[in-house]
Amino acid sequence: MKFGGLTCVDSLNTHVGKDELVGMIGPNGAGKTTVFNIITGVYNPSSGDVLFKEKSVVPLKPYEVAETGISRTFQNIRLFQSLSVRDNIRVSFVKSINAGFFISTLQIGNYLNEENEIEDKIDELLEIFGLIDVRDEYAVSLPYGEQRKVEIVRALATSPELLLLDEPAAGMNPTEKTELMNLIKMVKDKFKISILLIEHDMKVVMGVCERIIVLDYGKKIAEGNPENIKNDPKVIEAYLGESHH
Amino acid sequence: MKNKLLFLSSLVLVFIINLFAGNIDPYYYTILIYIGINIILASSLNLINGYTGQFSLGHAGFMAIGAYLSVSFSTYFAPFFIESFGQGIFGNTISFIILLLIGGIAAAIAGIIVGVPSLRLKGDYLAITTLGFAEIIRVIIQSLDVVGASQGFRGAYIFENGMKAAMIPADMSSVPYVFYSVPKYTNFFWTFAFVVIIIFFISNLMSSSYGRGFLAVKDDEIAAESMGVNTTKFKVIAFVSGAFFAGIAGALYGHFNLYINPEDFNFLKSVEIVVMVILGGMGSMIGVIIAAVILTILPEFLRGISEYRMIIYALLLIIMMLLRPQGLFGVQLRPGKKNKNK
Repeated sequence: MKFGGLTCVDSLNTHVGKDELVGMIGPNGAGKTTVFNIITGVYNPSSGDVLFKEKSVVPLKPYEVAETGISRTFQNIRLFQSLSVRDNIRVSFVKSINAGFFISTLQIGNYLNEENEIEDKIDELLEIFGLIDVRDEYAVSLPYGEQRKVEIVRALATSPELLLLDEPAAGMNPTEKTELMNLIKMVKDKFKISILLIEHDMKVVMGVCERIIVLDYGKKIAEGNPENIKNDPKVIEAYLGESHH
Repeated sequence: MKNKLLFLSSLVLVFIINLFAGNIDPYYYTILIYIGINIILASSLNLINGYTGQFSLGHAGFMAIGAYLSVSFSTYFAPFFIESFGQGIFGNTISFIILLLIGGIAAAIAGIIVGVPSLRLKGDYLAITTLGFAEIIRVIIQSLDVVGASQGFRGAYIFENGMKAAMIPADMSSVPYVFYSVPKYTNFFWTFAFVVIIIFFISNLMSSSYGRGFLAVKDDEIAAESMGVNTTKFKVIAFVSGAFFAGIAGALYGHFNLYINPEDFNFLKSVEIVVMVILGGMGSMIGVIIAAVILTILPEFLRGISEYRMIIYALLLIIMMLLRPQGLFGVQLRPGKKNKNK
């Protein structure tokens, strides 16, 4: 991915397996979020390809990418500010809803059943994340950590097969971070989805991720299981700087 | 179910009131009809500007298309309508439904033509494009002799030799003709039936899960796209259905006023509708209705100083922006929360 003369992500070659929880780490500006934007169709890569279920998603628009089963959260929270928690999540059902424009305005046919089903699914998801009590609040009025959770629920509600989480634990304290990571792992097992998550803090991902990709200056500098990553000299250098002794 | 009963009973109520509407003083009756038409216009623009967040400034253009097309049909094709449906109350009803739909559908088609390319633009650019569109429509009408050009349109002359025109051409002065004026179809029932229809249309749509797509587009297009919402489609739907109802409002206006002039649909008319939406509160149904009522009645009280009307509107808007930026009935989001995390 190039922006003008700046190469932001350079020949990244990796994969996420089925039901796998992969972490992507790297210092600030390493290009982690750009990778997400390329996968979800926000950016078109200058070269290369992104395959999902053996099909290229590069030519697709972001909403079409979502339809194929890739969903995401955002680093800078992007909740719908005029909607309640419940309605924020309801937006995720727009793509799969049977009732179109006319059925929704005339409220005929299976309309009410479908609305009730959606309502139940939303409540079920909110229950898992402990947000059921705040479901009627404006999403943007919640504390920071809960807003992040609403974003995850909203992404999950699109029934994705691959979930991209962009720093889901940003701004949380270490205990909250660990709790959230365990929750994410639980969600992965329960919904049988693959997750690729970005995290700044290496310690947090070590515990839950099965595989870790390390980016620095847009290049993959290491990939492997947490144990190997922790001891990889390149990774240590990227995070702590070059050692001079 | 409850919703449908409420809808039907509202229509019945409008019908019953209509039975007694003949006793209303004609002056007040006229104001009442204009209130209804303005509610339809403001609510339909609210769908575009308020709920979907696309700032359109050309609503009068769609109204003009609806008005001119349906009035042209009801005059130029008057013999056809009279022959097919007769002139009884039943025939008139059918004729009028067809004429209203012609106005609405024509405006909706114009909405597609304008909307599909221009909805890629955002904010000010979209406002300027739609404003330009409305002006183009007005200028085209102003130069179309077939609808009376800048003279305005009050009916069609159908000459014995088959010629049709909005004015008697100089060389035809000796040819016998029949003049078909615009039939006065619009009454309390039709106007307020459409007020009821648009209110239920918007509230049903916006309370449905599908309708959340519009609000999502307004709040954050990138997030909406990522959740699988085809934002372009939702924008076009809002734009086209807004245009449809503006076309209906135009058709109602034409068949009430019986005389339409391109100047009725100028830039100030578009602004007036936008002011109703902003004053009432973007995305607030009840607020916009109340604003439409107030802004229809207000000029009547200000007749003596009518040339200052736009100045008063501007002042009103400035005061609103300072005191209640969310509009009369707009929802107050907690200040500062929006950008807290950015």
